[in-house]
Amino acid sequence: MIKLNQIAKHYPAGFGKVYVLRQIDLTIQEGEFVSIMGPSGSGKSTLLHILGLLEEPSEGEYRFLDEPVQKLSEKKRTELHRHHIGFVFQAYHLIDELTVYENIETPLLYKGVSGSERKSRVAELLDRFNMVAKKDLFPSQLSGGQQQLVGVARALVHQPKVIFADEPTGNLHSEQADEIMELFQKLNKEDKVTIVQVTHSEKNATYGTRTIRLKDGWMA
Amino acid sequence: MIQNYLKIAFRNLLRNKVYTFIHVLGLGLGISAFVFILEYVSLEKSVNQFHTNVDRMYRLVNVATDGASWGEVEPGWAALAKERFPEIEDYCRFADGIASGVMQKAEGGESFKEESIGYVEGNFFEFFTFPLLKGSAEALKQPNVIFLSESTAAKYFGKTEAPGKTLLLHNQFGKTTFTVGGIYKDMTDLSDIRYDMVLSLETLKSPANTNGNDWVRLDNLDNQYINAFFLVREQANYQELEAKFNTLRNELSQENDGIVFRLQAATNIHLAPSLNDPLLTTGNVKYVYMLAGIALLILLIAWFNYINLSTANALKRANEVGVRKVIGATQAHLIGQFLGESLLTNGLGFCFALMLVGTLQPLFAELIGKQVSLQILGNTPFWMYGLGLLLAGSVLSGLYSAWILSRFKVIETLKGKRTSNSRGIWLRKGLVVGQFVISTSLILATIVIYSQLRHLQTGELGINTEQLLVVSGPQIGKDSTFATRSNAFVQTLAEQSFVQEYATSNVVPSRYYNFRTSGFTQPGSKPKDELKSYAFAVIGDRYLKTYGISIKAGRNFTPQETDVEWNNNSKVMLNERAVAELGFSSPEEAIQTKIKWDERYLEVIGVVADYHHTSLKNSIDPIIFYPQKSAVYYSIRLTPEGMGDKVAKLEKLYKTSFPGNPFDFFFMDENYQKAYYEEQQYGKLFTTASLLAVFIACLGLFGLATYTVESRTKEIGVRKVLGASVSSVVMLLSKDFLALVGVAILIASPVAAYFLNQWLQDFPYRIAMEWWIFVAAAGLALLIAFVTVGFQSVKAGLMNPVDSLRSE
Ligand SMILES: Nc1ncnc2c1ncn2[C@@H]1O[C@H](COP(=O)(O)OP(=O)(O)OP(=O)(O)O)[C@@H](O)[C@H]1O
Ligand SMILES: [Mg+2]
Repeated sequence: MIKLNQIAKHYPAGFGKVYVLRQIDLTIQEGEFVSIMGPSGSGKSTLLHILGLLEEPSEGEYRFLDEPVQKLSEKKRTELHRHHIGFVFQAYHLIDELTVYENIETPLLYKGVSGSERKSRVAELLDRFNMVAKKDLFPSQLSGGQQQLVGVARALVHQPKVIFADEPTGNLHSEQADEIMELFQKLNKEDKVTIVQVTHSEKNATYGTRTIRLKDGWMA
Repeated sequence: MIQNYLKIAFRNLLRNKVYTFIHVLGLGLGISAFVFILEYVSLEKSVNQFHTNVDRMYRLVNVATDGASWGEVEPGWAALAKERFPEIEDYCRFADGIASGVMQKAEGGESFKEESIGYVEGNFFEFFTFPLLKGSAEALKQPNVIFLSESTAAKYFGKTEAPGKTLLLHNQFGKTTFTVGGIYKDMTDLSDIRYDMVLSLETLKSPANTNGNDWVRLDNLDNQYINAFFLVREQANYQELEAKFNTLRNELSQENDGIVFRLQAATNIHLAPSLNDPLLTTGNVKYVYMLAGIALLILLIAWFNYINLSTANALKRANEVGVRKVIGATQAHLIGQFLGESLLTNGLGFCFALMLVGTLQPLFAELIGKQVSLQILGNTPFWMYGLGLLLAGSVLSGLYSAWILSRFKVIETLKGKRTSNSRGIWLRKGLVVGQFVISTSLILATIVIYSQLRHLQTGELGINTEQLLVVSGPQIGKDSTFATRSNAFVQTLAEQSFVQEYATSNVVPSRYYNFRTSGFTQPGSKPKDELKSYAFAVIGDRYLKTYGISIKAGRNFTPQETDVEWNNNSKVMLNERAVAELGFSSPEEAIQTKIKWDERYLEVIGVVADYHHTSLKNSIDPIIFYPQKSAVYYSIRLTPEGMGDKVAKLEKLYKTSFPGNPFDFFFMDENYQKAYYEEQQYGKLFTTASLLAVFIACLGLFGLATYTVESRTKEIGVRKVLGASVSSVVMLLSKDFLALVGVAILIASPVAAYFLNQWLQDFPYRIAMEWWIFVAAAGLALLIAFVTVGFQSVKAGLMNPVDSLRSE
């Protein structure tokens, strides 16, 4: 499903350039649950952004669903986001002006899903995450863990093939973190959703099926 | 989707109450100013257009060699033209100035002074589209017939049936009886022809009705006193027709005055078709364009606010943009969303504007001195352009902000980078400068207009207007005994202890001259000197003394000289300007020379000091003073104290001497002020406009300051912890804004100075554009900006640093 071949990322610095990622070869199969680990500044987020088509690699080839995607128009990229990719962020990144229900519903709106189907999809997720009672609240009225649950629900609502999560539990205390990790594991096992997460915690990494370690932009 | 956009738009408007308030208030004020001015433009544009045949109607206009034009022509041309030129289907003439007088219900009955009155052609109600309520239009073709407007009929006859009743008119043609032939609907503001009553022109054909005024003969070709309108056939070429008129004039006219005929389309009589059209109009197209320009500028300021605040606010919403893109929004989606927000804001502004327009309509009508309402917009297609413009402006300002917002790069927003693009900042600065260029220019204009107005109002006229009251002479009872009775009245005036000075005359200062005429030469004149035009003022022997006008050389008229009949008189006086115009090198030189006026010789017996006869708006005309005892006006200077009482006493004396006549009087100084009505209107208009512009611009500035303080809260907190004083924080936050206003002042000053100087050129007596005017405007603009920004800055400066740091 994901195949990186000699991927590198560098930024201009002074007269030269500074490499953040070097010669990354990586293959992720459908149904895997991969954790990316490594010290701060080692390039984890950058790698995840490249995988999630938010950033373009400077060198190398990236095939997503067997298609080369390293140089894609913004429109095509948005298409892929709409249909196949879900994101979960450390800072949740919910839309403050929308209620829980509306936040979850929005990806479906952009995808052009009909009203009745939207209703049932959102209702199903709310039910599954035990958030029915909270559906009309605004993000600021929720705890961090609850906000991240909404974040996960929003990443799932359009039934993506893969979820990219950058330190999804970084702002949560351990109980809440475990809850999210268990949820990820269940999604991976039962719904066959591919998951790629960045984490600093060895414990979180154990929920996954494979761990990739980065150091100074190199894959160990 | 739309629903979702609207929902977000509403919640955003509610969440950012300050910004919403600024936008809606600013747009509301801007749009209402725009709507009002649209009303005014529509009103001006629709004047005279209601006549059924307006497209085929032309007015005959005289144009002199110096470019001056006027609509009063000799009455004889119309019939000649219709007879000779097949293009002409019909004509209609009317004369206003000559008709005014006192109207009386019956012999010895109640009387009113009537100014809005004219002699009109028999086909008047067929030619023009003024609806008749009673009577037949045909009736006006008979002599001694009068038609009244609805409200005038009510004034004279109340509820009783007016047609068939008679009225007595006392004017320069003596006493004439008229029978009411019909009633017409009051002529509105939308017409330049506005008469309370019209008299059949046919009346003047009978010598019995003209009292020896031979000049009024309807077939004469030498006295310009009548308006002549022509209805031209469908396919006629009016320029060819114009040429034919001039050929006719060259063939038949006795005068060698260089005047040419022009045909002015009736559609262009109120507003010229372009700014440089030279023909006289009743309206002022310059003023209309200027108003429209101001309206646009004010609206522009409001839209600039929208662009400024929404793009400044963009950073706050960058995260939302990023998230939406990640979950599948395209740029088009986002533009749609933000455009929706701007349209909603504009829509709210529009609703607020409609409320404002509804409430302030009477105030606006008072400001411009005309009857206007929203309905007037329907008269011309301008409302469509206006609406189109409003929509275009809302969409463009919204689109621009939307485009800026939707362009954020996902990755940057998610990393929380504040990558405010520098172009956005420059644009914002540019727009603020633009707003203050407009505001400062308007402030400058206001100061200059009021200074000039003051200059005019308080300028030295060269006459003494203090306590000077002018009473119109009687019209009723001007029989053979009148001269004796007038003398007796003057005698009683002289005896009153509260009368300091008194005079009779045919003209008074602040009103126009008797007439202007050319054809004067003196022995030393050069060729063509006879083409120069002079003002004619017919005065009594006490006129100069009463008005405090000094004699520079020679002597005043004697009472005997004023008694000589018009055609036998051989003495005149000149003002200094006329002395120079005639080519004399000094007043002394002019004395006792005989000047030639066509075939007559007139001896110059005295030269009077120059004074402003009309107003300070015009330069001093060359005036020839002609002696006559006629009492069209009595000028009376009262002793200073207890004015009201004396006026009452005067009225009593007047009514005893001239029974049946209305006591019509005015104060000289007040009448002079009327000449500056237009400048007062300009003053009011610019005050309002600059207040609005400054206010809306400051709303925007306030918003930007609020935003700046919000986004720099942490920095300010740190600075305060490090020991920054309140004033240093205020300076830190204000100086950038003040610099922008400073730049605006530097741009506005020369630009505004240029245009204001152009305006001042119209005044022979004008103020200089002195430095203090610019300093005052600059100071005012800076002060206002500082107060606006300072409010937020001081709040930031006073804030407890711990709060701001903890909130992160
Ligand atoms: N736009 C950029 N320009 C220059 N350098 C950048 C840019 N973006 C990221 N970097 C650098 O790339 C390196 C990797 O950053 P990245 O965010 O991927 O690290 P990370 O492993 O996720 O760290 P953390 O655990 O702290 O989140 C860092 O040293 C960062 O300074
Ligand atoms: Mg990271």
